[in-house]
Amino acid sequence: MMSKLKDIWTVLSIEVRRVFGDRMVLLIFFLAPLLYPLIFCCIYHNENVEDMSIAIVDEACSEESKRIVHKLDATPELSVAYRCSNLGEARHLLENHEVRSIFYFPKDFSTRIAKMQTARIVVFSDMSSFYFYKAALTGGNAVLIDEMHTIELERYEKAGLTNEEAQIQMQPVVMENTTLFNPTGGYGSFFLPCLMMLVIHQTLFLGICILTGDARENRKSLHLIPPHLRRGSVHRVTIGRALCYLIIYVPICILDLWFIPRWFNLPQLGNLYTILIFLLPFVLAVIFFGMTVGNIMVRQKISPMLCFVFFSLVLFFLTGMVWPQESMPRFWYHFSYLFPSTPGVQGYVKLSSMGAPLSEVRHEYMALWIQAAIYFITATLVLSIQIFIRRRKNILTHNLRNVRQNGMGAITNNPLTTLRSNNNAKNNKL
Amino acid sequence: MASDKGVYSVMRRELHRIWRNPRYLIIMTLGIVFTFVFFATMTREGQPKCLSVAVVDMDGSYLSRRICHEINATQGVSVAAVYNNHTEARKAMQRGDIFAFYEIPKGTYNDLLQFRSPHFVLYVNSAYMLAGTLSYKQLATMGMLATGAVQREVYRKKGYKDDDIMGLIQPVEYDTRTIGNPWINYGNYLMTTLIPAVIAFIVLMHTAYVIARERQERTMKSWLRRAGGNALYALIGKILPYNIWYCLLCLLANLIMFGFMGFPLEGSWLLMVLNSILLVFAAQCAGCFIAGCIPDPPLSMGISAIYSAMSFSLSGFSFPVESMPAFFYSFSWLYPIRHYFLNFSDIAIFGNGFGHCWPRFCAMLVFGVLLIVGAFMIQWQMRQEAKPSPQKIKTTAL
Repeated sequence: MMSKLKDIWTVLSIEVRRVFGDRMVLLIFFLAPLLYPLIFCCIYHNENVEDMSIAIVDEACSEESKRIVHKLDATPELSVAYRCSNLGEARHLLENHEVRSIFYFPKDFSTRIAKMQTARIVVFSDMSSFYFYKAALTGGNAVLIDEMHTIELERYEKAGLTNEEAQIQMQPVVMENTTLFNPTGGYGSFFLPCLMMLVIHQTLFLGICILTGDARENRKSLHLIPPHLRRGSVHRVTIGRALCYLIIYVPICILDLWFIPRWFNLPQLGNLYTILIFLLPFVLAVIFFGMTVGNIMVRQKISPMLCFVFFSLVLFFLTGMVWPQESMPRFWYHFSYLFPSTPGVQGYVKLSSMGAPLSEVRHEYMALWIQAAIYFITATLVLSIQIFIRRRKNILTHNLRNVRQNGMGAITNNPLTTLRSNNNAKNNKL
Repeated sequence: MASDKGVYSVMRRELHRIWRNPRYLIIMTLGIVFTFVFFATMTREGQPKCLSVAVVDMDGSYLSRRICHEINATQGVSVAAVYNNHTEARKAMQRGDIFAFYEIPKGTYNDLLQFRSPHFVLYVNSAYMLAGTLSYKQLATMGMLATGAVQREVYRKKGYKDDDIMGLIQPVEYDTRTIGNPWINYGNYLMTTLIPAVIAFIVLMHTAYVIARERQERTMKSWLRRAGGNALYALIGKILPYNIWYCLLCLLANLIMFGFMGFPLEGSWLLMVLNSILLVFAAQCAGCFIAGCIPDPPLSMGISAIYSAMSFSLSGFSFPVESMPAFFYSFSWLYPIRHYFLNFSDIAIFGNGFGHCWPRFCAMLVFGVLLIVGAFMIQWQMRQEAKPSPQKIKTTAL
């Protein structure tokens, strides 16, 4: 038991030295997880589009249209920047991005209201960003509902109904809306928790890939493993390395997933203890996933930056936070569970933003443990295979050298005997 | 052999290098193809369909059951479950099983019959942006229609004609025209900007990578020698093959999106082509600048990644840059994709001509200055390296 722990400790200390001895890894492990959350929290500090410029084309020039324009201007989302005499003028403003939306009141607007027909307001919206559309819709709808009530109330009063009767007639059922878990409906409150988890996922993954690439490039991947662990005890290498990254990432996780959301007033209903319990399999799964991919695919130190960073975007969409998991094509849904980011982000958002207890994220929690277990096995397996191949290569080169020196009789299959015989030969020479 | 030195010679050398080790060009191309296929298949339906919602039916009446049926009949949402109390529904929401639920309180039907307006509460989970917003929209519309249906019944009984009733129930309505995306199709919205953004990202990283690789392999001298000692020629010759390749990919992506997938392109094709070519060029210049200024290869790759990972946000297509703090608004101009995006919205959405786009085309051309600065830095570094160190001078003097 003690020897096992000692082995793990040896590997761990080698790995810690490597991490702190590499400038690029330090940049990725320590600077990126600090910098990104802070920058993005600042970027999305204004959660919603406020006072979006709109143009008004009021051909009706009636009491109602003027009242609606005033109400539109009074909403937090919209601000009436221009009043145009015709649609062409407003269109020109829209094309020049001076305004993002046009509210057009046709000539027959007030006559239709007077005739008790449905009057129409035409809204043109710039779709270059859906947020412009959303602002126009939210602000516009609030005004529309209010205006409808005003007009209806006027009519009922004229028809001789009392205020109370009119209210009931207008609203037989009262609809109330409650927005949960992201009360302002802001982009930041939605996006930042996902981003924090993705930053943790990607920096940890990239850092591990870079360390693997570095070892490969300098042909020292075998030298980093203590000789007695190269056969049969490779799992201790995997565990030792994983422990190193785990120790580094626990404080980073607490900072990124607990303190930064607090400082920036993001919705946070969960508690630190639950989140930490959830994060343990997440970080482990990412570590073993990184080791597996790194050992299979990475051959250079700088190539992971080239090949994996842009994939963050795909990972973000695979989490199902934007496009709901149930609406995804089945293939992508299953594909998304190859990556720890999918259950990780889902689970974290549920725990932290939505205040779910751990029992409600059972599915994600189990998925992460399963991923961690599978990737642990693959990471160990890939490493063992690589050690095996490398040893084969060494034997071949040894044999080649021996054949050149001593003739065909010197071929052996056991590297130890080869080494021993080499040492003997050296001793004899001495 | 003086004629064999220059841009053309460096380009031949680069093509040879690619031929010898095409791995990364293939991987990056596959990356772009994968991203394209991913978004195309993911957003195939235009909008997420069949979002799960629930009803908390505490009334258990004919009316509450009819509401369930009506929600099921609403496009885009389906009733996943009917719960008896609020807590169960909240838990389901926390599990992520449902995105919204209607709560119908006890005695609703009786209240309605006795002209006491009952209250319906609609709870929406906004932690899921798109699903929350869409299910809210559908359920709120359904709610309005349900109210309208009750009103219509009352008016019918009073002897109004159906044509007149609509005017009574809804005195004012919006007629929304969504310019540039009439179907409110998310595929159109996401792909037209995300795919070029991914291409720009990859182009920048790949440019930084090939320069960093020269440094790592210590082949800077032979590279510059092929360019006749001029770092600018060396850089141009180096990025030109990639430029052509990625421009072709970007154009192909645009051709598929605007041609075959039928996303609207209001303006001229030619401007879109120019926009794509300039995007690739500007991204390459930024890559040359970073890799040229930072001599340490891993560090230059790290800085490139940190810089370009923000491009998706600062292009401003998801959350408008205008609503970000002023500093980031200014900072976004340092991203080629921001200029591309503004041009795209001018060309594809509003059909504006060159007269509107030229300032951004110029801005992307200005990125060429970065190429010159990068070349200058490389030249300077090489000169520093070539200078004999003081120790060497000493030994030669001795």
